[in-house]
Amino acid sequence: MNDTPSAPPAAGPATAIDAKSLPMPEGIRTVGSVTTADPLFSCRSVDVFYGQKQAIKNLNIDIGRKQVLAMIGPSGCGKSTFLRCLNRMNDTIVGARVEGQIHLDGRDIHDRKQDVVQLRARVGMVFQKPNPFPKSIYENVAYGPRIHGLAGDRAELDDIVSTSLRRAGLWDEVKDRLQQPGTSLSGGQQQRLCIARTIAVNPEVILMDEPCSALDPIATARIEDLIDELRQSYAICIVTHSMQQAARVSQRTAYFHLGELIEVGETDRIFTNPRAKLTEDYITGRFG
Amino acid sequence: MAIEGHTSRAYDGELSSLHVQVVEMGGLLLLQVREAANAYTEWDPGLARRVVERERLLNGYHRDVDARSLALIARRQPVASDLRAVVALSRVVAELERAGDEARKIAQAVLGRAGGSASRPGFATARDARHLARLAVNMVRLSLDALDRLDGPLAREVIALDRELDEEYASGLRRLMTRAMEDVRVFGGAMEAAFVLKSLERIGDHARNVARLMLSLGRDAAGAPPGEGQPAADASPR
Repeated sequence: MNDTPSAPPAAGPATAIDAKSLPMPEGIRTVGSVTTADPLFSCRSVDVFYGQKQAIKNLNIDIGRKQVLAMIGPSGCGKSTFLRCLNRMNDTIVGARVEGQIHLDGRDIHDRKQDVVQLRARVGMVFQKPNPFPKSIYENVAYGPRIHGLAGDRAELDDIVSTSLRRAGLWDEVKDRLQQPGTSLSGGQQQRLCIARTIAVNPEVILMDEPCSALDPIATARIEDLIDELRQSYAICIVTHSMQQAARVSQRTAYFHLGELIEVGETDRIFTNPRAKLTEDYITGRFG
Repeated sequence: MAIEGHTSRAYDGELSSLHVQVVEMGGLLLLQVREAANAYTEWDPGLARRVVERERLLNGYHRDVDARSLALIARRQPVASDLRAVVALSRVVAELERAGDEARKIAQAVLGRAGGSASRPGFATARDARHLARLAVNMVRLSLDALDRLDGPLAREVIALDRELDEEYASGLRRLMTRAMEDVRVFGGAMEAAFVLKSLERIGDHARNVARLMLSLGRDAAGAPPGEGQPAADASPR
């Protein structure tokens, strides 16, 4: 990764601010520390509406570099909606409206000058179901760097592909069949291919929406191991329904309930001594 | 704190049955402590023998609760208050088992230790032992009540009672040593009596530890790590 060209900066002189963490509004109901050292994302008073329905209510959180933030909560609590706010995937949903401030490294991601394609290169995403393109393994990884102009020539592109596949822990398994279709791989391999495809464009953040829910325990363990390695370089936000997975992979955990961020804190504390009763009831399986 | 209330009723059942088993073990320990003290103060070798024989039941409870706690951790992966409860119950049985060891030592003082003969306490020593035993038994009983009812305030009471037992032990020991110095012929018996008083004091310590473990089940018992400040007043646990 280090030998690949770095991603170009976000388009235009978007509204940069001095502090990376935005000022905190009054009357926050979230329990725990919503701020973190060295924040990359800073979100304040975020509301999300799908038509009339409010999916996220007054959400405030900072997301730190080189750490894994796990978002947990019952279905429909807004955790995936929030994840999709971070790379403006909600823009693609008709009737979806995002209010409030979301700053990435001091710049407003909703700024008019913000190029959404560039934003999504900086904030990559891995989905629940592995979704490789119907192309070769090589092309799956090479596609992003090519459209973003990250490689000057074929040798450089080869280098990005092999580095990304190595970082995704897939190289040894696919190095002799790079021209075979990505869909010929097993589910776990396909998911790692999608992770390789994401990191090939040199992102700063990787969003993961239930990345292991379609995988067996061994493939899950490999992805979790990979997440732990990737956090040395990236900020990772993972939505998961598996509390054990959140406990295993993350340094911070955020608990959502009915569109509100109820509690956020160090994962060790959340899983041994949550402060909010709603969090305690959910993680101990007392949720009615 | 509550042990029950999970969506999975089977999980509720497993946790409460572990709790009940620990409380049962506590009941057996209370009997052991009471009878061991009686056997010493009333000099009843038959009773002492029964205490020594029953000790293996206490050890059996310890093994059983440990095995069930491990199985529960492996199968249910408890977190938060449930995890603290399982760990605390596991430690409580270790405390109860050690208190049981002390009760056995008292009973063995009546039966005579290996290679030595038993020496019956004199009137004054028996009176001191009876007094200490009353305090220790009371502490064990209250700590078990606190454990049974998950009663935090009662657990705090038990912790406070330990100071009284410690003071009574210190003065009982002082009186015993004075008597031993006045008449060296009773020195051997006084040594035995000192061990018995010490065992009663240790039983009180174990009861206090059970009470402390009880308190660790409560919310925020482990304390919040630095840098995780509680924000607004309305952010209290909902």
